[in-house]
Amino acid sequence: MIITKQKEKDKLQKCLDKYNSFYLVGCSECASLCGTGSEEALKKMEEELKASGKTVTGVFMPKTACQTLGTKVELKKEKDKIESAEAIVAMSCGAGTQTAVELYPNKPVVPSNDTMFLGNMTRFQMFDERCSMCGECVIDQTGGICPVTNCPKGLLNGPCGGMKDGKCEVSAEINCAWVRIYERQKNIGELSQMEEIIPAKDWSKKQGPHSYVAKETKKDKETKK
Amino acid sequence: MSFRQALESGKFVVTAEVGPPKGTDIATMLHDMDLLKGKVDAVNVTDNQSAVMRICSLAVCKLALEKGLEPILQMTCRDRNRIALQADLLGANVLGIKNVLCMTGDHVSAGDQKGAKPVYDVESVQLLQIVEKLNNGKDMSDIELKGATDFYQGAVVTPEASPLEPQLMKFAKKVKAGAHFFQTQAVYNLEHFKEFMSHARKYPVKVMAGLVVLKSVGMAKFLNNFVPGIKVPDELINELKDAGKEKALETGLNITARQIKQLKDEKICDGVHIMAIGMEDKVPLILERAGLI
Repeated sequence: MIITKQKEKDKLQKCLDKYNSFYLVGCSECASLCGTGSEEALKKMEEELKASGKTVTGVFMPKTACQTLGTKVELKKEKDKIESAEAIVAMSCGAGTQTAVELYPNKPVVPSNDTMFLGNMTRFQMFDERCSMCGECVIDQTGGICPVTNCPKGLLNGPCGGMKDGKCEVSAEINCAWVRIYERQKNIGELSQMEEIIPAKDWSKKQGPHSYVAKETKKDKETKK
Repeated sequence: MSFRQALESGKFVVTAEVGPPKGTDIATMLHDMDLLKGKVDAVNVTDNQSAVMRICSLAVCKLALEKGLEPILQMTCRDRNRIALQADLLGANVLGIKNVLCMTGDHVSAGDQKGAKPVYDVESVQLLQIVEKLNNGKDMSDIELKGATDFYQGAVVTPEASPLEPQLMKFAKKVKAGAHFFQTQAVYNLEHFKEFMSHARKYPVKVMAGLVVLKSVGMAKFLNNFVPGIKVPDELINELKDAGKEKALETGLNITARQIKQLKDEKICDGVHIMAIGMEDKVPLILERAGLI
């Protein structure tokens, strides 16, 4: 999931101060799990805005804010409420926020959250990064643990000299990714994989902005024929 | 005799570390270089050591050459992507720098430019592969070079790493990637080091023991508590303690000299790499006491 946290109060306030009326959009996927775009978060935002003398013209919880088409359909019936607001507050990740930007070309959109990383909720609202979306997964060679993400240097061929008793030189809070990989490879009987040199990554695969079409279009199929 | 020839001839080789200063006043560094001339086989020039910004390694290697010292260019992957690394390697080679030590590099968070973007486009093993390719007339993308490099490339290893096995596996990868020589992280327990060497001797590489001069009990404790991969045994700490504050440095110099002598006499490894950290001027004295000059 995409991990978000609410923007620093001062910074958010500065954006909100510019307008008098708002329409609030949350997201029932990741931002709900993070508590940054949940029903509760929407309610809190509505109350705070009202308490500071602002108007809230409506509140909506789309199913998946980053699903542009679906959100567009869902928001159709909210047209008037959205029109009557000076600005939209998007309480989702950066992608969900830009759905609102795309759907309402003439309406300012205030993002309420900072988008941090792709990770897992390991305990209730405790999140750890798991994937850097580098575009070329290497964890088939590293026992399923991603060194690109879990090692602050993204090392591909073993621990650096900064490892101390299994901990990272950057912070003793971080377990060395390569000691973890070593232990897991040993446990699953695939330690010999650690003997193979992993070549330098092709970072062009990480280079955005990305676009991707998962399903072949009719035209694609015809061209192939 | 060049550093490479010395190592390959079986001579017990000595290198010393030179840390470029932070700023343009190089008088002390040049003075230290003068003292090292004729007493060591080569000098390692550090590359923004501990991620602290200083004069670049390449420029100081060139100054060393002009002084008549043979430089070993330390090259980390922290600050340059593959384009810059290869360009600097070509540049170094045409300036007459023939030795390169390939390292990953301390993380930016350790240094004095904490907001810097760490690069790590490639890492130590892959950098060794790059040097090997450049030596064979091709760049990393397999494009033919107009003139190949002739580097003698080495790497680092931490014999006291804990756990040790992943470090040994990386050591083997570095050999496979083309490392000819290794300079180790500081070692103090020579019995442990002998065990490491019995492993390292299975590989066709030269190994130089890294030695950091102990200046005080406080420094020894600091190394133990905060520097990964360094373990100063209690008996050495006690030796410093017994010597008293005023004689601690003197004792530290003697310990280093004694260890060099043992490493050489017992043929434990192929040489030593002395990291004097601010006491480069004491290196000749250590070598004298070790009976090397």
